[in-house]
Amino acid sequence: MLLFLQSFINGLLLGGIYAACSAGFSLAFGVMGVVNLSHGDFVMLGAFITYWLFVLLGMDPFLTLPFTLLALFFLGLLLQRLVINRVIGAPPIMSYLLTFGLHLVLSNLALRAWTADYRTVTPSYSGLNLNLFGLVLPYSRLATFALAMALILGLYLFLYRTESGRAIQATAQDREMARLMGVNIFKVYTLTFALAAAITGLAGSLISNTFVIYPQMGLPFTITAFCVVVLGGMGYIPGTLWGGLILGMVESLATTYLTAGISLALTFFLLLVMLIFRPAGIAGKGIME
Amino acid sequence: MRRNFFCTRSVLFILVAVLLVLAALPLMGLPGYRLRLLSLVFMWVALSGCWNLMSGYTGYIDFGPVAYFGVGSYCTSLLMIKGGFPFFLSILLSGSVCALLALAIGTPTLKLRGAYFAIATFAAAEAMKQIILEWDHMVGFEFFGGAHGLTLPLPPSNEFFYYTLLFFMGLVLGLTALLERSKFGYGLRAIHEAEPAAELAGVPTLTLKVRAYILSSSLIGCIGGVEAYWLTYIIPDDVFNVLRTIQMVVMTLLGGMGTLLGPVIGATFLTLISEFLGAKFIYNYLIFLGIIVVAIIILMPRGIMGAVQRNKGWPP
Amino acid sequence: MAPLSILQCRRLTKRFGALVAVRELSLSLGEGEILGLIGPNGSGKTTFFNVVMGVYPPEEGEIFLRNESLIGKQPHEICHLGIAKTSQIVQPFLGMSVFENVLVAALYGADLSLAQARDEVEEVLDLMGLFSWRDAPAGKLTVSGRRRLELAKALATGAEILLLDETMAGLNPRELEEGLELLRKIRDRGATLILVEHIMRAVMGISDRVIVLNYGVKIAEGTPQEVTENPEVVEAYLGKRHAGNRPN
Repeated sequence: MLLFLQSFINGLLLGGIYAACSAGFSLAFGVMGVVNLSHGDFVMLGAFITYWLFVLLGMDPFLTLPFTLLALFFLGLLLQRLVINRVIGAPPIMSYLLTFGLHLVLSNLALRAWTADYRTVTPSYSGLNLNLFGLVLPYSRLATFALAMALILGLYLFLYRTESGRAIQATAQDREMARLMGVNIFKVYTLTFALAAAITGLAGSLISNTFVIYPQMGLPFTITAFCVVVLGGMGYIPGTLWGGLILGMVESLATTYLTAGISLALTFFLLLVMLIFRPAGIAGKGIME
Repeated sequence: MRRNFFCTRSVLFILVAVLLVLAALPLMGLPGYRLRLLSLVFMWVALSGCWNLMSGYTGYIDFGPVAYFGVGSYCTSLLMIKGGFPFFLSILLSGSVCALLALAIGTPTLKLRGAYFAIATFAAAEAMKQIILEWDHMVGFEFFGGAHGLTLPLPPSNEFFYYTLLFFMGLVLGLTALLERSKFGYGLRAIHEAEPAAELAGVPTLTLKVRAYILSSSLIGCIGGVEAYWLTYIIPDDVFNVLRTIQMVVMTLLGGMGTLLGPVIGATFLTLISEFLGAKFIYNYLIFLGIIVVAIIILMPRGIMGAVQRNKGWPP
Repeated sequence: MAPLSILQCRRLTKRFGALVAVRELSLSLGEGEILGLIGPNGSGKTTFFNVVMGVYPPEEGEIFLRNESLIGKQPHEICHLGIAKTSQIVQPFLGMSVFENVLVAALYGADLSLAQARDEVEEVLDLMGLFSWRDAPAGKLTVSGRRRLELAKALATGAEILLLDETMAGLNPRELEEGLELLRKIRDRGATLILVEHIMRAVMGISDRVIVLNYGVKIAEGTPQEVTENPEVVEAYLGKRHAGNRPN
């Protein structure tokens, strides 16, 4: 019983992270129609920024967050202006191919720069746990979960309570109408992609104390993000929350009761099942056409 | 009625002629290294040609063809090692297994828009690799050999593989040539151009997409089996390596998706480049490929053949 | 003698979330007739066409083609059964030639062999006045050319019922006359047409019967004459103030 509970809690904590890592993907797709196959690389870059700040400057991982936010925001801005902008409005296949090319460049540049070695971020408090009824809850994980939730909440508030956020939503729903209402579509797209990159990078920083860091780590996260977004509904931000939680729990339970190495296989089966039975997400609010 | 110079019959004729010339080469004395290199080119032309059959014509980007390459490798290996089956029968059976798998994966994913198919296939390939890696350990029964892989019986000469791969290249190109001006081909292209309009015009889009996917995947599986026998040793990290997918995609993209010669041009060019760059700094090669992809999408989305055909022009 | 009813809709309702696009629409289409379907923007005409073609499933109601129910069928199946539609926003197969565009329709919609299809395409292109453009990439056609291509594709499927969504929009008077002549020729060839148009002169001039929709509801049905004199119709188009006048 305790094992199950531990696994369950681990799954929740993991799920929060997955949700935070996937929100950017859903945003880019929902607003711009861009399926960003280099999405996971933003996670990777965020994690690496935290790593290097931690190793070279001794900065606490949680303090590196603003740096990652800014750095990835600008990277997203740059990529959107130079490259992504050209495939908006083009047939979707252009966006997957383009972002696929981006993925190749980003992940292999990282590989070239930092080698394939696995790295970890282990601040002094990383071994400290909260022991509750026999359950082991590492403080850093709890903090990460809390921040991940804050990130999603922050995104939600931004989208639904600020003017820029609502401009983004309007553009997502009906681009022509938004343009007629005076929304500068180009600015919206730039903001959206930069924002998506920033929060994804932020999520990457958050996971640095939980996951092993290496240049090729992006790919599994892209797949995970896709699964989360399919579960929750493509383009529907609140959905990424439960999509992430569900996936986190499924993986955690599988790791406990089956074996650790098949997480991706599981993600894929879950994905396939969802696509067969409920492609619009559990709540049915995903964008389908 | 205007006769198009590139009508199917003349294309097939040229293809057969080229194949015959290539077939004669070893008989005229070709050094071992060049023989192997050519065999490699044939393999990659065949592989990207298969990818082109599906993604090039329908526009549904398959990011997981390596899944079938790996499944084909393993099927062939297991049939030969544990079942004692002869090579060609093993290849045939492997292709069939891949066909069934493609049916299972394709049917739910091709109903939805391309993005779902793209990532689902991406995930499928990774999933397949993981399953093969972990199966023995999970089930507690020695079958796939886990990370150690499988070792096959000793193969015949390099010439054997030269001709086998030449055959597959010819098969794939021949099928492509036949498809281009067939009812099936027109249907696929209509799906690519405007799927809803195609539906309304009576095209059974899902059926055609699944058919193309099954065709492409089963052939990829066969070729995977051939390579397994050629190398005599397979491990999951190699036969399920995403680099194979990347190469198939980039080769076809560079040469021109949805054209007969596109995969030929792209595959020949990139295979020769990667041979000369060597396996030493693989990430440089991949960065190079990534830049090619980005550059092509932005500058020349229809690839080399597309750029050539665009200038055919109208009015005549 | 009333024509044989080949298409029947009973209480058809289509909702998009809270919006009821088509509400309990019942109509009957007679063989060989030209039925005009008019109504202000957003009155559900295009949605109705999409429901008939199986693009959207209706929430309620039935559709019968002769005695076969169309509910739950895929668009390509419905095309094979004999209904074809042109779209308001035309979607030609841009990368293919005009000839190849129509060829797809003939091969799949009419289920012909390659040889038969080629003959059929030449005939249709000739009828539509596109024969000289047959090898042009579809992208090179003008707007009116693309409309004719769209119609050519629908014809080539061999469908007996054609749903035409604003094929006359943006044409000058001469093109309009030619278009109407074409439609008459198509009907004489054996097709039955439902026409959605905003150009009153076109619809009223050619339709045997007219149905008027407003906010998804049928508000009038009858001959063109009867419909134009219907005060509710006038009100729908021009507002209450003009209910005493006739639209032209």
